[in-house]
Parts: sequence; C-alpha cells; structure tokens
Amino acid sequence: MSTLILAEHEGGALRPATLNVVAAATQIGNDVTLLVAGSGSDAVAQAASSLAGVTKVLHADDAAYENELAENLADLVMTIANDYEHILFAATASGKNVMPRVAAMLDVPGISDITEVQSADTFVRPIYAGNAMATVKSSDARKVITVRTTSFEAGAETGGSASVETLAATAASEKVSFIGQELSQSDRPELTSARVVVSGGRGMQDGENFKMLDEIAEKLNAAVGASRAAVDAGFVPNEYQVGQTGKVVAPDLYIAVGISGAIQHLAGMKDSKVIAAINKDEEAPIFQVADYGLVADLFDALPELSKGLDG
Amino acid sequence: MSYTAPVRDIEFMLNKVVGLDEVAALPGFEEATPDLVAAILEESGKFTAEVLAPLNRVGDEQGSSWSEDGVTTPEGWKDAYQQFCENGWGALSFEPEYGGQGLPMCVSAAVQEMWHSSNMSFGLCPLLTQGAVDALHHHASDEMKERYVAKMVEGTWTGTMNLTEPQAGTDLASIRTRAEPDGDHYRISGQKIYITYGEHDLSENIIHLVLARLPDAPEGVKGISLFVVPKFLVNDDGSLGERNDVKCVSIEHKLGIHASPTCVMSYGDNDGAIGYLVGQENHGLMYMFTMMNQARHAVGVEGYAIAAGAYQKALAYAKDRKQGKTLLGTSEDDQGIINHPDVRRLLMTMRSGVDAMRGLALECAASFDKAAKHPDADKRDYYQRRGELLTPMVKGWSTEFGVELCSMGVQVHGGMGFVEETGAAQYYRDARITTIYEGTTAIQANDLIGRKTARDGGQGMKELTTEIRATVGELEKSNRAELQVMAKRLGDAVEALEDTTDWLLKQDNAALPAAGSVEYVMMSGRTVGGWMMARTALAATASSEDPKYSDAQITLARFFAEHELPKVGSGKQIVTEGGESTISIDVAML
Amino acid sequence: MKVLVAVKRVLDYNVKARVKADKSGIELANVKMSMNPFDEIAVEEALRIKEAGNAEEVIAVSIGPSQSQETIRTALAMGADRGILIETEEELQPLVIAKLLKHVVEKESPGLVIVGKQAIDDDSNQTGQMLSAMTGWAQATFASKVEFEGDALKVTREVDSGLESIKVAMPAVITTDLRLNEPRYAKLPNIMKAKKKPLETIPVADTGVTTTTGLSVVEVNEPEQRQAGVIVSDVSELVDKLKNEAKVI
Ligand SMILES: Cc1cc2nc3c(=O)[nH]c(=O)nc-3n(C[C@H](O)[C@H](O)[C@H](O)COP(=O)(O)OP(=O)(O)OC[C@H]3O[C@@H](n4cnc5c(N)ncnc54)[C@H](O)[C@@H]3O)c2cc1C
Repeated sequence: MSTLILAEHEGGALRPATLNVVAAATQIGNDVTLLVAGSGSDAVAQAASSLAGVTKVLHADDAAYENELAENLADLVMTIANDYEHILFAATASGKNVMPRVAAMLDVPGISDITEVQSADTFVRPIYAGNAMATVKSSDARKVITVRTTSFEAGAETGGSASVETLAATAASEKVSFIGQELSQSDRPELTSARVVVSGGRGMQDGENFKMLDEIAEKLNAAVGASRAAVDAGFVPNEYQVGQTGKVVAPDLYIAVGISGAIQHLAGMKDSKVIAAINKDEEAPIFQVADYGLVADLFDALPELSKGLDG
Repeated sequence: MSYTAPVRDIEFMLNKVVGLDEVAALPGFEEATPDLVAAILEESGKFTAEVLAPLNRVGDEQGSSWSEDGVTTPEGWKDAYQQFCENGWGALSFEPEYGGQGLPMCVSAAVQEMWHSSNMSFGLCPLLTQGAVDALHHHASDEMKERYVAKMVEGTWTGTMNLTEPQAGTDLASIRTRAEPDGDHYRISGQKIYITYGEHDLSENIIHLVLARLPDAPEGVKGISLFVVPKFLVNDDGSLGERNDVKCVSIEHKLGIHASPTCVMSYGDNDGAIGYLVGQENHGLMYMFTMMNQARHAVGVEGYAIAAGAYQKALAYAKDRKQGKTLLGTSEDDQGIINHPDVRRLLMTMRSGVDAMRGLALECAASFDKAAKHPDADKRDYYQRRGELLTPMVKGWSTEFGVELCSMGVQVHGGMGFVEETGAAQYYRDARITTIYEGTTAIQANDLIGRKTARDGGQGMKELTTEIRATVGELEKSNRAELQVMAKRLGDAVEALEDTTDWLLKQDNAALPAAGSVEYVMMSGRTVGGWMMARTALAATASSEDPKYSDAQITLARFFAEHELPKVGSGKQIVTEGGESTISIDVAML
Repeated sequence: MKVLVAVKRVLDYNVKARVKADKSGIELANVKMSMNPFDEIAVEEALRIKEAGNAEEVIAVSIGPSQSQETIRTALAMGADRGILIETEEELQPLVIAKLLKHVVEKESPGLVIVGKQAIDDDSNQTGQMLSAMTGWAQATFASKVEFEGDALKVTREVDSGLESIKVAMPAVITTDLRLNEPRYAKLPNIMKAKKKPLETIPVADTGVTTTTGLSVVEVNEPEQRQAGVIVSDVSELVDKLKNEAKVI
C-alpha cells in the first residue's frame, strides 16, 4: 500500500509545506505518491517528481483546480483514494478545507494536524490549543490526515526521480465558483517558512506602528506576524495571525513584541527554536516561554533594536 | 483590570444556603428558577468582566471632568453605559409594569455585586437610578410614574438623590433648599452637594429627586418635601423640552471613585428650577426612609463586592510573586508568597469574609423578597422585621469589613500595593466611601440599636438568634470535627450577642449604648456572617457533587468561625464595658 | 428560510486545560464550560441574517450531554428561535457529528447551516466540510464575510495568503472565522424569554447514526513545557545574546 499526498502549489512552484508533508509520509514508510492538481501546472508536476522520497506523481491539469476549490480537489482525490492507505494534506487553510471532505466521502474520521507519526496507524496531535497532546490510533483501512508542517523537517527538493502520470480531471462543481482574492503584497518571506518571525500584539497600538516591525524584519530577512488581538483590532490583516486558529510557525527565532502571550497565541509559536519577547508588563505570560525577555516599552526598544541590528 | 465573576460561589450561596427555591415558590417570583438565575449570572459575569472591568482603571486615571457645558465621563464609559442599558441590566429588579423583569431582590443583589466588583464607579449610576425609581414607584402619582419611570428603568434617563447640603449631611432635618409653589408645580432654589451622577454625559436626561422645604413648612424633619426636578423638562408627549434651571457648578476631587462625578448642584440660579411634588407635602423624609433599606442594602453590596475584586487581584499576585523560601510550598516551583502562612491568612480572611458578607446580603434580600410576596401575612411581617434588622448589618458591617479587606489586598501586594500600578490601591481608595454615604456607619448603628432593636424590645433580634441557635444544634449533630468547631464558636458568638442585646435594652443613659453601637453592628454582622458560613458548611457536607469544592467551603467556614467569631466575644466586652471611657473624658484635654 | 447553527459545549476559553492523571483525556468535571467561541460567531451571523430579512427562523442544534441544553439556551438567549439537542454522553468525533447534523438537516431542510470552523477542545476543523460533503451542499469555510446575492452567497474567506471570495449556491454550509462578526451579549429580557422557547431533545439512539468509528484515543499527555529563559537588561544585551549565545541572527 502507499501514501497519497495532495501537493500544494502557487505561482508555478510547490509550496514549502508540501516538503514537510512528504517528510511525514516518509516516516509512515510506504511509497509516496504526490497528486498535483492545477491549471497550467506542468512545471509543478516536474518539480514534484524530483522531490526526495516521492515515487510517483499524478498530474491532473484542468481549470477546475486553478483556485483550490475544496469540492473539485476532493472529487479528484476520490477517483484514486481507494488505492491508498494514507491520504495526507498539509494543515494549511487549503489542506484543512479539503481533507474532511475526503474523509467524509470515504466514511472515515479525519485526523487533523498530526505532529508525530508513531507508527503507520498511530499519531500524535495537539488538542486544546496545544495544552494536551492526544495519541490516536486508527483501525480504518484508510487514514485521512492533515500534517502540521512545523513538526516535520522539510524533505529535500531534489534527489527523487518519480514518474509523472496524467490523471483524468473530474468535473468542476456547479455550486461554487471562485470570485477573486486579496492577497497581501509583501517582499518578506512567507510567515510559516521564514527563518525569523517578528510579531506584534495589541501593545503595538495601531497598524501604523507595525512599520517599526517591518523595518526590523527587513534587517533580519524575517516575516512579520501578529497576535489575534492585533488582527482583531484591525492593525494588520488576518494572514498575519499566529496562534491556535491562525498559523502555526516554528522559526529559528521568534521575536514577540507587545504580545501578552495568551495560550491561544503560544499554541502557534511555542515550537520556535529561540523566542525573544519585549513587553512592558513584566508579568506577561509570554515571558514564561521566552528564552530572552526584555521588560521595556516597545516604543523605546524597537528603534534601539533596529539600530542595534545595524552594528 | 481583570475580573472573573465568582458565579459558582454566588450560585452556591443562593441555591444551597439562602434557598432560592423558597423565593421562587412565592407568587410573582415563579420565573426565578435556578436554571434561569444561572443563565442570568453567567451572562452578567461575562458582561461585567468583558465590558465594565476593562474600564475600571481608565475611570480611576481619567476621572470624570467638569466644564461649563457639563460633566464628561471617562473614555469608553458612554458606550459601555449604552450597552448596559440595551442589554437590560438596569431593569433587572423593577416591576414588569414599567418594563422591568420583576426578579427577586436576592437575584438582583447577586447581579449587582458583579457591577461593583468590576467597576464600582460605573455601578453607582444605575444604583442611584434604582433608588430614584424606587422612590417614585412607592410614592409618586400614576401620572408622574408614567412620565418618568419607564425611561429610567430603560436607562435612557438616569436618576439622582439630592439630600445633602453643606449644613445638612447626616442631619437632614437642617435642609434649607426652598420650594415655592407656582401653579401646578414648584420653583426650587438652593444648593445640594455631593450629588452622585448629578451631571454626566451618559444619558439623555437626568431626573433629580430633591428634598426641599416649602415656605410654610414646619421646622425639622416634618417640614421636608420630595420633588422631581428633571434636567430637561418633559413634555406631555414624553419628548424633552427646555433645560431646567439646575446646574452642576463643580465636581469634587476625591480619594476614590474618580469616575463617579460627585456634583455640587445649584438649583434656581435664575427663576427657580421647576419641580414637581412627589406624594404629599412635608412627607419627603418619610418617603426617603421607606426606600432607605433598599439603598443601604445596595451600598452594603458594594462593600463586599469591591473586596471581592480586591481579593481576586491579591490572589493572583500572591500566586505569582516569589519572596524567599516558603513554609507551605510543596516544590521548588511552588514558592509564590501565597505559601507564606501569613499571606494565606490575609487571603483566607478576604475570601471567607467576602463569602460571609455575600451570605448576609443575600439572606437579607431574600427576607425582603419573602416580606413582599409571602402569602401568609404573619410570615410577611416576620420577614420584613428580619430584612430590616439585617439591613444595618449589611450596610454597616460589610462596608467597614470591606474596607479592611481591601486594605489586606494592598498588604498582600507589599510595596506594589501602595504604588498605583497594580490596581490594589484603587480598590482600597474606592471602597472607602462605602462607610460614609447612604448613612455613615454610626447612623447604621443608631438604626440597629434604636429603630431595629430597642423599638421592638429586641423581638427581631430574638427571632434571629433563635434561628442561629437551631443551626448550632445542627452543627453539633454533625460528625465532622470542623463542624463541631463551628458549633462551639457560633454558639459562643450568639450567646455574646444575646447578652449584649439584653444589656443594651436595659440601659437608660442613651450615651452608653450609642458609644458601643458601631461595635454592636460589627458583632451582629460577624455573627450572622458566621451563621451564613456555618450553613454553607452544612450545605457543603450534604452535597456530593464536587468533594474538593465542598471541602474548601467547609475550610473557609471553619476559618471564619475561628478567626472572626471570637471577636464577637470581645465585642460584648467593648459594648458593655467600654462605654464609660469613651464618653467620660474632658474634651478640653483631647 | 431556516438557518441551522450548531453549538458545542466546550471547556471555557479562559480555563486552562488539564490532563487527567490517568491520561484518558482532559479534566472536565466541575470546570467552567461555555459555548465554543466560533459557534457564538455562527449564532451571531445567523441572527444577523434573520434580522436583515434573509431568514425566518434560526435553529440552534447541539450534540452532547444534557448540560448542552445550557449552551442551546445561551443561543436562544442571544436570539435563536428554538433548539434541538441530540443527547449523548459519549464524546463524538466530527465524522459522527456531521452525520447527526445531516440527520437534523434532512428533518428541518434549512437553507443554510452555519458552524464554527473548529471547536477549541479537539481543534479538528472538520465538521462543516464533512457535512457539506455528505449533503452535497456547497462549502464555504473560514468565512469572514457573508453577503446575499440573489439566491447565492458571496463568502469572503480567510486563507493563508489573505482573503479570497467565492460564490456558493444555496443551500450551503458555512464555517465561521474570527473576524466574521463580534457576537452580541444576551439581553436580560431575552435570557428570560429563552427559557420559554422550544427545545427538543432527541436521544442519539433515535437517529440511527452509528456513533463509533475506527479512530480511538490511546492516551492524552501534557505537552513538553518550555522553560522560561533569562530577562535581559537592555536592547544591546538582547542583540548580543541573539548573536553570540543563541546564534540566530
Ligand atoms: C462621594 C460621595 C457621594 C455622595 N453621594 C450623595 C448623593 O448622591 N446624594 C446625597 O444626598 N448625598 C450624597 N453624599 C453625601 C453623604 O451621604 C454624606 O456625606 C453623609 O451622609 C455624611 O454626611 P456629612 O458628610 O455631612 O458628614 P457629617 O454628618 O458631618 O458626619 C461627620 C461625622 O459625624 C458622625 N455623626 C454625625 N451625626 C451623627 C449622629 N447622629 N450619631 C453619631 N455620629 C454622627 C458621622 O458618622 C461622621 O463620622 C455623598 C457623599 C460623598 C462623599
């Protein structure tokens, strides 16, 4: 038996998340098939075929897959689902959107957000915002899973030489159509794959002040994130949110600025290698997880930090 | 400042100790079932924690401010007040005929605790409105009620109580504000001071209830009448008309409750403010007295509510703050100062004290509920007596003890308690007013020894101590050692209280009882508090739902019995033996 | 049109979850339980849809123990018209929940089902999508805005790279994200009225849905704790530590 992964890609390239999912699949142990569904996605299929550990690439190219609509992707997966014991998705907005449909159609429970593969049928996943880790075991013939990407070291982009087979496209759903998107324009690295993340919280006071974080991010080649409070307050758009219900990140360095450190925020960043926190409230819970804490007014500390990074 | 409403403790006290079911069984209170009350407390807890508590600090720091154009409340208050009204919280206890919910006073008191714990300066506004509505409800004509009450219940208009004048504080007999008849209304002129929310920007209109004298009125207490003086006159169709001749000329700078504007009100700078007589001429003070119990009860609730807020703050700090190796810490990580026995003592005093005061206040409120709705007239009388007897204890003891507990909250914080940063100091400062307004503690004491004890020859007190003795009997039957301890302590306390009452009733020199009267309020408050805690312990023993919770209730009750009830005995000594030294000194030597 | 909202009773958002000593799960005895925050957003959205004249009735459904009635009452107090409790003492997985919701959907024929994108206890983020797949209705997850456009909906969704909008035919299943709305507080008169609103209880056995699945929890453990580090005295010390000690910049 083998494992099927729904690859994610955009702009003609695989999203880094897919490499983490391949790593999880490798731990499960069976052959790995990557399904590339897209429109005008030949280059992606080619790139997929060279990933280390991938034995086969199935490629379905059709306008139906252009915008990652869950209905269309799930229907496509279902045409081949019975050939696989494990069907894996990244625990991204896109993967979370599709996975449960596939599980429902196969009449098996979905297994969300695994952080560890204990064996081919036993996995660990966080519950209660990461305040507990549940070990779950599946006796179903098919295991439909999303993978928390930060928990698996990305596989190599080269070294494989999988065959690429074309897969017939399924009909597009008539019930749903894509209208458009408002994507943030940023030259910064993507939040979930950046090596350094600088995040701001309610303490930033307004969106304008996030420019101070941008300046520091620029110098560190970092991505900028935010706590839920900052997003809810409208300082920055939703895609900045790090936490239980936002993005989960695990960079080498996470700098939390003006973030108190609610459980729900910690759930999204506590696997970072090094955490630095700047907060004027010395009792802020963020200091309980920070490797380096600075009790200071961020409006004094940030300009200094920016200057300090030049030296 | 963060606040989590102690919903569970309140529910336990209401349901298992005070007996909400008995109240809900009364005709007219059928709706107040435990599940409904639970839902109300839950939502009130959410609202106060999320909307009112975050404004407590800004309120203190910014305060309300005065200008020629009026009084501006701190940032965010107007929105919060609007939400408060939209959500119907102001209307909780009022009669359904005015748009209220007609809930029992014990439920309303439980909810109001949360207003004051989260933000007392805010809570004062609806509290005063409630007082004004009560006065109108009981004494105004139907036409007058129709014109004012519904809007006040809604909260679109707020109410004030204008009693105090520079020369007339405790002694309202010396009120001088004048009311001249002028057709179907009166012209009011004079100055009132310390008027809470006398002017503000939270509501469209402010309905002032003003005590004043008619030109031909008899001297003293029998010559005071009560008037409605709206800030904006109200047209026959209910719309707002002209601005009345009443104005806030300044607001006070105070020790606490900075956001609650304490106004100097000037009436009749021009032609005299238009006022409308409530009820009959010269009955004003009497009307005030009929609603006094309610208002004093409400301030007593403030007393422990604010201590409840201070307790939460102190508890959190004590868990977090580390100083030296503790005697009670169980591990390296468990070294918060809460594990120093003395810090425990402070916290236990605060926690058990708040529970006991809450018990007293809810018991008192439930008595008034029964007095209002019990089908049996004798029972109504009995509970009216009980409610009236407990009221000066609720106001007198709970505010004094509340201040003491807030001071302990400061103590738990050490130096951080004295600096403003943590907010512990604010509770202490805010609490301080509660022993002063709505009748100082001394006035509660006069009320307790005079109107509530001497006047009925100690009957109400006797009924109370008889019930307490029955509880002592129940405690004695228990096989738990803690309850035996409580039986002993509560038995001793009730005996000391009875002895003291007997002594008081026998005195003919009024000065001696007066000298010990405040101590008598304290000892009766403590005894009833201890009674409520003992009943809590009995209820906890009978409840198997959550053994940990039950055990904690029993320990808190035992703590109260061991730490507060012994003071009743010394209270007896102070009252019965300490009067002479209090009054005999040559004042010239002081 | 009817709108169906699903509401789950979960450990209160502010209460820290504690793993039971026997590792069988989370301690839920005698701790505060509340409505899943995402479901509050779902109820709020349904009410706004009704208030805008786009629906006639809002039905709140919960699946859980009898105490879940309180959660339904909360929804009724916010303004939902009636409630349905599918009563079960078992902790059910999203697959089963979706099947039970489908059972209610078949009975009630709503035009719209709104559910939270995830429950903050098991954090699965599956139920809405599963229900959509089972009913064949259109799916609009992680919604941050819902607009009526004739007999279709325009839904703005929160995705990893920002926002996207899709058009879905009705009936549809929507799952809510945080920014969809800010749930109202229940008004006191409505809390009182909620008591009298109809609440139907259906034993789970009466639905004919099998409640067991092939997925079981082996054990639940505490996560690894991160140790607090050091407090640095100023920015230059921070920069120095990051450079020379942690070597991350
Ligand atoms: C912040 C604040 C808000 C207020 N809000 C209002 C309001 O909204 N409306 C309103 O009308 N008033 C209000 N007041 C006034 C308040 O009710 C009075 O201050 C209070 O009744 C005490 O009166 P006084 O200040 O004149 O003190 P005094 O009466 O001068 O008392 C001074 C001391 O003498 C004692 N004393 C006086 N008489 C006796 C006695 N017979 N027996 C024993 N001891 C006695 C008192 O206990 C006190 O210790 C407010 C006051 C404050 C400070």
